[in-house]
Amino acid sequence: MSIFEYNGSAVVAMVGKNCFAIASDRRLGVNLQTIATDFQRIFKIHDKLYIGLSGLATDVQTLYQRLIFRHKLYQLREERDMKPQTFASLVSALLYEKRFGPYFCMPVIAGLGDDDAPFICTMDCIGAKELAKDFVVSGTASESLYGACESMYKPNMEPEELFETISQALLSSVDRDCLSGWGGHVLLVTPTEVQERTLKGRMD
Amino acid sequence: MLCRSDPITLRLVFDAFLGVQVALGFSFCYYIFLPDLPSLPRRPSALPSRSVAGRRNEPILAQSRMSRRYDSRTTIFSPEGRLYQVEYAMEAIGNAGAAIGILARDGVILVGEKKVTSKLLQTSRSTEKMYKIDDHLACAVAGIMSDANILINTARVQAQRYTFAYQEPMPVEQLVQSLCDTKQGYTQFGGLRPFGVSFLFAGWDKNYGFQLYMSDPSGNYSGWKAAAIGANNQAAQSMLKQDYKDDFTREEAVQLALKVLSKTMDSTSLTSEKLELAEIFVEPSGDVKYQVCKPELLEKLLVKHGVTQAATEST
Amino acid sequence: MECVFGLVGDGFALVAADTSAVHSILVHKSNEDKVMILDSHKLLGASGEAGDRVQFTEYIQKNVHLYEFRNGIPLTTAATANFTRGELALALRKNPYFVNILLAGYDKNIGPSLYYIDYIATLHKVDKGAFGYGSYFTLSMMDRHYKSGMSLEEAIDLVDKCIIEIRSRLVVAPPNFVIKIVDKDGAREYAWRESIKDAGVSAA
Repeated sequence: MSIFEYNGSAVVAMVGKNCFAIASDRRLGVNLQTIATDFQRIFKIHDKLYIGLSGLATDVQTLYQRLIFRHKLYQLREERDMKPQTFASLVSALLYEKRFGPYFCMPVIAGLGDDDAPFICTMDCIGAKELAKDFVVSGTASESLYGACESMYKPNMEPEELFETISQALLSSVDRDCLSGWGGHVLLVTPTEVQERTLKGRMD
Repeated sequence: MLCRSDPITLRLVFDAFLGVQVALGFSFCYYIFLPDLPSLPRRPSALPSRSVAGRRNEPILAQSRMSRRYDSRTTIFSPEGRLYQVEYAMEAIGNAGAAIGILARDGVILVGEKKVTSKLLQTSRSTEKMYKIDDHLACAVAGIMSDANILINTARVQAQRYTFAYQEPMPVEQLVQSLCDTKQGYTQFGGLRPFGVSFLFAGWDKNYGFQLYMSDPSGNYSGWKAAAIGANNQAAQSMLKQDYKDDFTREEAVQLALKVLSKTMDSTSLTSEKLELAEIFVEPSGDVKYQVCKPELLEKLLVKHGVTQAATEST
Repeated sequence: MECVFGLVGDGFALVAADTSAVHSILVHKSNEDKVMILDSHKLLGASGEAGDRVQFTEYIQKNVHLYEFRNGIPLTTAATANFTRGELALALRKNPYFVNILLAGYDKNIGPSLYYIDYIATLHKVDKGAFGYGSYFTLSMMDRHYKSGMSLEEAIDLVDKCIIEIRSRLVVAPPNFVIKIVDKDGAREYAWRESIKDAGVSAA
């Protein structure tokens, strides 16, 4: 089994009208055994920037801690928050530093940039950025997620509709993947508020 | 913890630095603190010809002050057991803008006097004397600003390193201790001069609540209920001692600080352009907040507490 | 086949571990204590490669003590868990420790907590956790009978159920177990469950 499939994960982000949504599954497993059903894969960097990390759980945690370290120092020195594009470059640089011994993580970055324009991107484990205008996926359920998102996605969705869409896409994809699932965790971010919700799906 | 930044490693780095110095024949010019002129190294008038290129020999002719023999290096004690370089560093701070910190029961306040108040000044930073170290920690600075920048950066990195290892905010005293250990290194080895900065650290942690610490170039620190650094700090300290009460609220503490500053500052009138006010307190949500007072609000406070003189603009 | 498991109850946390020191087919001793008392209110149950286990747990114990001596205040359980994870993560890509850890602790304002730390430095706060082949039996047993806020009697009853399950269903089941608990009064040994007594050898 590949190292990326050791813990099992699914992360997806979608762009709506002046908002974005980012969602992940909640399973933490060790190969075929499930250890926990409340594992957190989406982390807040600042009010308008979130990162979801799929892949090996230990690298998820290490990478997140390193990113918070860097962002905090940036915030203190610049006296402002990092733009999503800048943050994506930072993540890419951190990952490429370990080019010949990488972090086994595929990040999904979602944020509101200048003028609250939504920004999403994903990268592979060595930092090759993939910017998209509609949705990005990563994790063991990524193939299913691509299919589900492609068929369910429409541009310029309002926040409620976006929430529905991303939840349905996530749940239907992780249902077909034995390594991810046990519910979902969805964050919907608009310029004025952040809604955080837990989904109950097939609990297996 | 058993980690890389212990004094032994630091010492090895500085010894390596010294080794380079020896190899190059001491041709680096040491930037040394001299009394009366803290910014430029001054040639003593009776300096004999140099036998080793660049090496500063002790003057042979009669000296006016005994301390001249022992003040050129940080790494030697004088016969009276003093470290002159460290003391000269503290002299340098005596010329800098004053800063006052007061511990209240629901927060800590820091007030600073701005020395640079030209209309032409265009700063990138919002404050000149107050700096945020972490979400729960801030400091006020008095002394050489460039030295302060280095130390503040060091403090920020140390706080983040602690959070990286333990995933919780660094306790205030531990950060102060860690920064003071850095400062102490510059008074003992490496041949580099001490930092010409004093700090007032204000912060909150879950072990001891609100705390205020003062540290100086020697690397000593202590906790205070109210403290003053910078110009006229002796006078300010004695005024604080007289008027401080243990159960001050933040408002009362601000009032006391503004009153003390108005008496010890050199300028004829106090305006919000010459002052900075920052507070650390706990919000109802439970988060610790560091807040710098906006100039308009500060102006209102000055008028309210009656410490501004002459006809200022009506609010 | 090492078995370590633990759970959180009402105002206490407990860790149980087998006590066999095994080398290939040979059982060196049957009273090896694998649950270390880190400080007054913390327990560290560890399983894995023998040398690594002792080395690493002692290293953590000494660092926890050093922190308390240096700073005058003890580390919280969460901080200890994150520190431990950090050390494992640091060593992971150089010279990994093959030690799985269950860290149980009691903090005054937080109450009892249990942390699951994998040998590849995956950290998760859990209510019940287990390592080893025994985990296949104990996790299922605890899934069935565990409820949050169990009293000490109920919890010990559950632990005994788990031990019986291991003894009857695991082919090379360890004969003896030690149970340690931590609550507001401190960390201490609670009981041993022995089915084979070591003849005439006193514990060090």
